Amino acid sequence: MTFLTPLFLLGLAALAIPVLVHLTQRERTTVVEFPSLMFLKKIPYESVKRRRLRDLILLAVRAAALALIVAAFARPFVRGSELSASGGGAREVVVLLDRSYSMGAGDAWARAQQAARQAVQGLTGLDRVSLVLFSSSAELVLRSSADVSRVIAEIDRAQPSAGATRYAPALKVASSVLAESSLPRKEAVLVSDFQRAGWQPDDAFRLPGGSVFTPVVVDAGAGPNLTVTPLSVQRLRVDNQDRVVITGGVTNRGTEAASAVKLDLDVDGRIVQSQPVSVAPGSSASVTFAPLTLPPAGLRVATRLPSDALAADNAFHAVLTPPGAVTVLLVSSGSRGDSDLYLTRALAIGDRPRFDVVSVQVDALTPETLARTRVIVLQDLPLGDALAGRLRTFVEGGGGLIIALGPRASLPAAEWLPVTIGSAEDRTRGAAAKLSGFDYGHAVFEPFRAPRSGDFSTTRIFGFRTLTARPAAATLARFDGGTPALVEGTVGRGRVLVWATTLDLSWSDLALKPVYLPFVHQLVRQASGFREQPGWVTVGQAIEVGAADTSAVVLSPGGQRLSPPEGASALEVAEAGFYDVRGAREGESLRVVAANVDLAESDPTRLDPAEMAVAVTGQPGPGGAGEPAAAVPDEVQEQAQRIWWYLLFAGILLLIAESWLARRLAPARL
Amino acid sequence: MIGSPAPGARFVDPAVLARVGNLEFVARSVVDGVINGLHRSPFFGASVDFAEHRGYVPGDDIRRVDWKVFARTDRFFLKEFEADSNANFSVLLDVSKSMAFGARLSKLDYAKTLAACLTYLVHQQRDRVGLVTFDHEVVDHVPPSAKHLDVVLHTLDRVKAERPGDIGPPFQKLAEHFGRRGIIVVISDFYAEPDRIFEAVAPLRFRGNDVILFHVLDPAEVEFPFTDPSAFEDIESGDQLPVVPDAFGDQYRALIKAHIDELSSRATAQRMDYMLLQTSMPLDYALFQYLSIRDRLTRTR
Repeated sequence: MTFLTPLFLLGLAALAIPVLVHLTQRERTTVVEFPSLMFLKKIPYESVKRRRLRDLILLAVRAAALALIVAAFARPFVRGSELSASGGGAREVVVLLDRSYSMGAGDAWARAQQAARQAVQGLTGLDRVSLVLFSSSAELVLRSSADVSRVIAEIDRAQPSAGATRYAPALKVASSVLAESSLPRKEAVLVSDFQRAGWQPDDAFRLPGGSVFTPVVVDAGAGPNLTVTPLSVQRLRVDNQDRVVITGGVTNRGTEAASAVKLDLDVDGRIVQSQPVSVAPGSSASVTFAPLTLPPAGLRVATRLPSDALAADNAFHAVLTPPGAVTVLLVSSGSRGDSDLYLTRALAIGDRPRFDVVSVQVDALTPETLARTRVIVLQDLPLGDALAGRLRTFVEGGGGLIIALGPRASLPAAEWLPVTIGSAEDRTRGAAAKLSGFDYGHAVFEPFRAPRSGDFSTTRIFGFRTLTARPAAATLARFDGGTPALVEGTVGRGRVLVWATTLDLSWSDLALKPVYLPFVHQLVRQASGFREQPGWVTVGQAIEVGAADTSAVVLSPGGQRLSPPEGASALEVAEAGFYDVRGAREGESLRVVAANVDLAESDPTRLDPAEMAVAVTGQPGPGGAGEPAAAVPDEVQEQAQRIWWYLLFAGILLLIAESWLARRLAPARL
Repeated sequence: MIGSPAPGARFVDPAVLARVGNLEFVARSVVDGVINGLHRSPFFGASVDFAEHRGYVPGDDIRRVDWKVFARTDRFFLKEFEADSNANFSVLLDVSKSMAFGARLSKLDYAKTLAACLTYLVHQQRDRVGLVTFDHEVVDHVPPSAKHLDVVLHTLDRVKAERPGDIGPPFQKLAEHFGRRGIIVVISDFYAEPDRIFEAVAPLRFRGNDVILFHVLDPAEVEFPFTDPSAFEDIESGDQLPVVPDAFGDQYRALIKAHIDELSSRATAQRMDYMLLQTSMPLDYALFQYLSIRDRLTRTR
């Protein structure tokens, strides 16, 4: 007999309690003074003796009850008993079946299914089995089912997905299932090709104590495996036309060299170009295709390799769209000719997005001009009520307004503006003002968040207008004195950004600093609400369908009509190819999203199953190494035998008996 | 009641005396005395009750010669009368610690009252009164004297029940002191085996004393009214005994009754008076009852 928690045996000291109670009660016995015990002593002692014997029985019952309860808490078990040798009771088995796309190589999937079936076929009617299919996410297909045939049917029905291997979600699910199980023996069987790319050790998915982890390795076999790499796109603008130069790459994951393999460039479903590629084992090569003209509607392009053992990584999809342009109207009073110089030059650079900058006088702000404009920048202008009204309409319609304040600037006391402006601060004498207190979480300053990503500290501000931000406005930057430097407000569908100083050299030297260009780009980008669309997403990510488009449907690459789940506006990408987001009207295509498999899954580098076993069980023993468990852990043996339960039950029964006995003896007890 | 109020006078209960005042405490046997009294003297004396004539022997008081008989017979005869005598009256009071027992009235107080009343009563009969208190030895000894009433009452006032008792040793010692026959009243709770009690008392009786045993007990000692299981502690020894009254009561009552019966029967056999007094019993009633019976017996003898 061994104890799992022998420290609880210290509780046996509690056995002294009944004795102490007994002694205490004795002391409390009333004493009657009597002239002589002469006659009392003559009375036969038999009755007293019997009563004492009864008290001893009571004491023994109490002591036995306490001893049993203490022993129950110490959780005794018989090590190596027949119980444990015969298996130790019912099993809770969780089968984790890897269905990442790498499992589709060769006959690996068929062998994985066979291994999973074997894992559940030996189970008895008392055992329970759970089936988890996993790739980048885990799906608990069946939970604690006693129906083995149903589990096998689910295994047979399962197919490899386009996802990559991620062990953590599956192990967390297994840990949860095993932890909540009341069965004494817990086992997890992981059927996978054990790619290292999906493994990041973490204590969070450690299995419950006593669990047996059995890895089953399904080898995909060594064969030729070429993988396309992500496209590289170079944009050109020639004769007001957007053109792209596409470079495709190939990686050889196999052990044999590939020579003159044809890499096709597929545009809108047609192969338009092909290039031969030769790649040595374990290396990569790239080819550049001839430039393509990018129509305003964009192009669906893909690079494809001939089919090999693992076909899923032989194509790479992308959607190429024209970068688009943001029309920026620089409005000045016209008194200073160079006030727009730095801003114009800075916005002339860049293609994500391209800025079409037009400088106008304040008188030229006609409704027609505003209609063609995305962003208006006001440079040191006194803003009258009439102009303010027009600008408000413009902003509410989705436009962006940037107001840079100088000595002549004035703003009406309009509620829609995010600030009220005060006097001008002159810092030409003494120390110049500095910029500080940036909101790096905001989109304007987010690119400057990392170290050495732009230094505003060297900027000197010689003059600025004191701003008072309205409660609904957000202060994005401050001067070193604490007054707001940049304030953002939302009006209707548009934004207003107020910069407390000038954007030229009249009040600061910011225009001469390296951060000037990215800063004004971010300002205009934020004011315009520009969002860059990625060329592709990876399987497992979500695509935005749009909450407003409640009737929108998505055509998957396989031709299925999909809709976001109830109450959601995004849809998880489950396969590689082109997803077509369509509107309510027939044939209306809102946009196309390209999806690719995670190419890390192509890396066949194997993880040692023993390493994972150690990580998930915390034991370097064979139980975690994938071999049959030779020694059943003490916890498992103890849980299988459950002697504590019987001891506790007996202890409680004895306590009940003690209560009854004590009541019986109470009238005659001293 | 008494001339000078002695401290112990409080034990002389007027109610008792009022009840028994018209009775006489008369010795059932002859007692020695020097003055005329109520008791029959072993000697023929100058009393009015003629007893007999006897022949003159040299040394007789010629004043007691019956000259009328001499005139008729020409021989000297002495005329003898049954002389009444005064007696030595001694109270032997047990002051062992067990006598302190009693819820409302301790046995000792009851016994003191009894002793005082009796002493006063016999003192009124012109008898000599004395007192001996004892526990496991003699504590106080007041020799019988006609003048010792106050001393006796003082002594009664002083005594306290403090020490364990044993009837044997003090009685052995006392037997030597009671050379002259008299009345000896023993007041005790008699917590000893009957053999030992009578072994101690018998010598007094053998010397011709009229021995009266007053057995004073508290009602609780007789009726054993306890109900709660308790530890009973011997007042004298301090010994404790766990007692369950429900289980012990009947046996105890049987044992105490047997003890009383044994004392009573053996006292009768040895021509001693035995009277059981429970402290709940009014003393005047108890004493009146006893003296009435005694008086009746004395007269019929």
